[in-house]
Amino acid sequence: MADQTFRLPDLGEGLTEAQLVAWRVEEGGRVDVNTPLCEVETAKAVVVIPSPWAGTIHKLHARPGASVAVGEPLVTITAAEATQAEATPGTLVGYGPGAPESGIRRKARTAPAVTESSGDVRAAPFVRQLAKDMGVDLTQLTGSGPGGRITRADVEAAAASPAAASSLAAASSPTTAAPSTDGERRISVVGIRKAIARQMVRSVSTIPQFTEFAVFDATNLMAAREEGKASGRSMTPLPYFIAAVVKAVRAYPLMNSSWDESRDEIIVKQPVNVGIAVNTSQGLLVPVLRGADQLELTAIAEKSAKLIEGARAGTLLPGEMSGGTITVTNVGASGPVETGTPIINPPECCVVAFGAIKPRPMVVQGQVVARSGAWISISVDHRIVDGALATEFLTALVSELESISA
Amino acid sequence: MEPVTMAKAINLSLRDALTRDENVLIFGEDVGALGGVFRITDGLQKAFGEERVFDTPLAESSIVGIAVGLALRGFKPVPEIQFDGFIYPAFEQIVSHVAKYRNRSGVPLPITIRVPFGGHIGAVEHHSESPEAYFAHTAGLKVVTPSTPADAYALLQAAIDDPDPVIFFEPKARYYLKEEIDTAARVPIGKARVAQEGSGVTVIAYGPTVSIALQAAKTAAAEKISLEVIDLRSLSPLDMDTVMASVRKTHRAVVVHEAPVFCGFGAEVAARISHDAFDLLEAPVARLGGLNAPYPPARYEKLYLPDVDRILQAADAALAYG
Amino acid sequence: MADVVRVVAADDPLRALFSPAGELTAEARSRLGLDAAALRELYRNMVLIRRADQEALNLQRQGELGLWGQFLGQEAIHVGAMTALRATDWVFPSYREFGMAMVRGIDPAEMLTLFRGLSHGPWDPRRYHFAPLAIPVATQVPHAVGFAMGCRLKHGDEVVLSTFGDGATSEGDWHEAMNFAGVFKTPVVFLCQNNYWAISVPLSKQTAGSIADRALGYGFPGIRIDGNDVLGVYAAVAAAADRARQGDGPYLIEAVTYRMGAHTSSDDPTRYRPESELEAWNAKDPIARYRAWLEQQGIIDEGTVAAIADAAESAAQAMRARLTAMPTPPPGEAIFGRVYSNPPESFLREREEFESSLEGS
Repeated sequence: MADQTFRLPDLGEGLTEAQLVAWRVEEGGRVDVNTPLCEVETAKAVVVIPSPWAGTIHKLHARPGASVAVGEPLVTITAAEATQAEATPGTLVGYGPGAPESGIRRKARTAPAVTESSGDVRAAPFVRQLAKDMGVDLTQLTGSGPGGRITRADVEAAAASPAAASSLAAASSPTTAAPSTDGERRISVVGIRKAIARQMVRSVSTIPQFTEFAVFDATNLMAAREEGKASGRSMTPLPYFIAAVVKAVRAYPLMNSSWDESRDEIIVKQPVNVGIAVNTSQGLLVPVLRGADQLELTAIAEKSAKLIEGARAGTLLPGEMSGGTITVTNVGASGPVETGTPIINPPECCVVAFGAIKPRPMVVQGQVVARSGAWISISVDHRIVDGALATEFLTALVSELESISA
Repeated sequence: MEPVTMAKAINLSLRDALTRDENVLIFGEDVGALGGVFRITDGLQKAFGEERVFDTPLAESSIVGIAVGLALRGFKPVPEIQFDGFIYPAFEQIVSHVAKYRNRSGVPLPITIRVPFGGHIGAVEHHSESPEAYFAHTAGLKVVTPSTPADAYALLQAAIDDPDPVIFFEPKARYYLKEEIDTAARVPIGKARVAQEGSGVTVIAYGPTVSIALQAAKTAAAEKISLEVIDLRSLSPLDMDTVMASVRKTHRAVVVHEAPVFCGFGAEVAARISHDAFDLLEAPVARLGGLNAPYPPARYEKLYLPDVDRILQAADAALAYG
Repeated sequence: MADVVRVVAADDPLRALFSPAGELTAEARSRLGLDAAALRELYRNMVLIRRADQEALNLQRQGELGLWGQFLGQEAIHVGAMTALRATDWVFPSYREFGMAMVRGIDPAEMLTLFRGLSHGPWDPRRYHFAPLAIPVATQVPHAVGFAMGCRLKHGDEVVLSTFGDGATSEGDWHEAMNFAGVFKTPVVFLCQNNYWAISVPLSKQTAGSIADRALGYGFPGIRIDGNDVLGVYAAVAAAADRARQGDGPYLIEAVTYRMGAHTSSDDPTRYRPESELEAWNAKDPIARYRAWLEQQGIIDEGTVAAIADAAESAAQAMRARLTAMPTPPPGEAIFGRVYSNPPESFLREREEFESSLEGS
């Protein structure tokens, strides 16, 4: 003998209440399923509500004239027997306060992580992301863009020279090239050009760097490339260079480090993130191949190709151009350049330049023969690395390149 | 004045318009003796006669089509389309003629088309739709929707007084919301209101979602998250000044409506904010709405429609973004 | 004027079956070809669907259905028309044809899931040759005509029944479909259930003319008949279907009846129509009338009547029990499952996101 309480359903598509007009039953009276219980008047109609269950009327919850909200108890009926009435679901179409119509719910939301507004900084969302990646605090910058907007160049410059950041805006110049009277042309320096300039100045003015040269025999490398090509995996020499640099770095981890001026410490980096110098229509960009020490040759090839393509198309995300630990530049890739003296990309310790691979006279087992070969040059931060260690690293690099097997 | 429901406020507004201007005519399906399926026109035929408040044959295209003719003859027609899902036969008349007649002829059409819209009433198919974007997309129409009884009264006055056509969407799930109204207050078309002041995230809502946004703001306040709720009131014209004033303060925005997100009205609002406040945004503008599926059977509508939790989730995400 | 098609008596095999007032003639009644069992079956079906209709209204009042649209008083049309068709003939209903669907064999508890908010279309139209309910008024009429055009193109012998109310005849879709049916001479029987009320709007305010006579303007015949006589409806639909099956084109039957209940459970007809109308139509109740006729013919006795009433009672209770025990289908399937044949990736992703946002996922 269980009591069941019948709650007022939504009788007409979105109603929230009804007025009880009259009861047609009394407490203690017996009802069957569909025995008329009461008349109620909604905003739409006067209707008779039939009993959903058989049993005895235990309690009438409202008096005639009273307003009953959808979902509120109307009548309690003591079931005639413990019948199927028990299994009857509750009001299904109740749209009054809090009446659920199904047991299925969305997950509750999880606890919020709140960040305060960073004030009225004016910077495009892209620039904000760049600043985040480069660790630049936008609130400390004054923008050089229209209306004081912080530009991408402002952030890049600030990253290159934190101290110079606040004076940047004052030094900004008009963005159009102004012709002068004597035939000279003045080109205003903005954007990437400006960032490169600052980075290079920072390098040569703060890093005592020296350069060493070597030639390596590229016969095996070229053979490996030929073999790759034959089996459908065409590859430029660059992935081989990167792979060799990574292996050499593993043997000489100090080459993968940076000098911390403020604390007189050397920070030896764990992952090997190889910066790849790429010439683009906008100037030199250095996308970064992250975790190159964890990658197989084919993955290096794939990812570096994508980065280069992205750099040229201008589609790289800011995070793909920061965080390098050593840089590779392929100076022989686009002309008959044998070698050069690369400038370190601060705050890195070492930059490796590869010249053009071409047939050149080499002495093999006492005989002068024509072999494929190329120059390597490395520039190194002398604060961290001495000539002897640089030579060992260069030797290891040459040995890695010459022992490439297909 | 006693608090009145939105249904009653609209009824009063129609009554006052009929009293004030003898050229106001009300017609549609069941608006006469029955007083409309939601009782919005209750008692109007009795008070103003069968010539000014009349039932039409069951034909939505002609209900709107005759409004054009009546307007040309000097009347101010206020036709009712019974349910959102039944407006489509009239789409041709609304888009090709109501919206464009003035542009074609120089003759303005002072027509106000009333349409109950939105879900949350447990109805069968075609009774819970949110077709506002189709009309907001159509130049020549003004599209408004109130979220409170007071706004319902005043906005409807403004719509009927407007020399040009207005689509007046009534959030049917809020018909029984009660509050005191001031019949002397004026609400111009094209002016949004700040329904709740706040500083953390701007929540932009209209019609049925305003009260949900307000509930979300209340819940958020308990967690020390401050939401500013903007009630657009008018979708076309769109009051970007009010929206932008808020976004300049919060740098974060969430737009919420019942219509599906894909190509919904929120896309317009989000695009405008993203453009006009591009530099100020600390998080992408979020859009919340119905799922990108036909309006579901009633048992599933609460899962389909945006709710307090989903608004809070979007606000959380916006705050955690930057 | 030679190119104007005029409908002549020879095109209209129904005219001879009915009196000018639309009553089936005694002679036609005697030649229906229905035996006693078939005549009892008509009665049984009318009683069954009426009891189910009442139970659905009760279920709505008890909060188990969101909405119910009664067809009380229109049982003769539902049963007469469906009995006159072959099982392979298609039906394109409006939204009050629950009784027709029951006669076609669709499970009423399954059907009620539509009004319980679980489904927009609980049956497979291809299995029952019964199209989904069409709620926007008159929109299903062009579908019926198109289907009938298809039957002609495929040289099938199916006939299509297009059914709608008096209100539907005001909609543009209805007129356009009627015109197509005439132009393409499609095998379709238009059956108007003229129940005098489109919600609160009476027939007199719906149309100033005759519904049946409109057929002539579209180039085919029409007739107005007593829709509360199950045998009259049976005879009319059977004859019109035969005619269509023979390739003679569409026919419009205006079956006059009365909506004894409210438009739907959300409606209150006391606000707009006089009690006196109900009393007058109560006297023409299709079930009482037919029962009296059957008793008079000696085809049915009190015992059979009681047995049928009992059967209807248990069927209604079984319907209630099945309906209330029906599980709620998973939301992902209910909302996304039937939208596309080949759901786009983006759509599947939205479904996945939705499903993983549910408790317990």
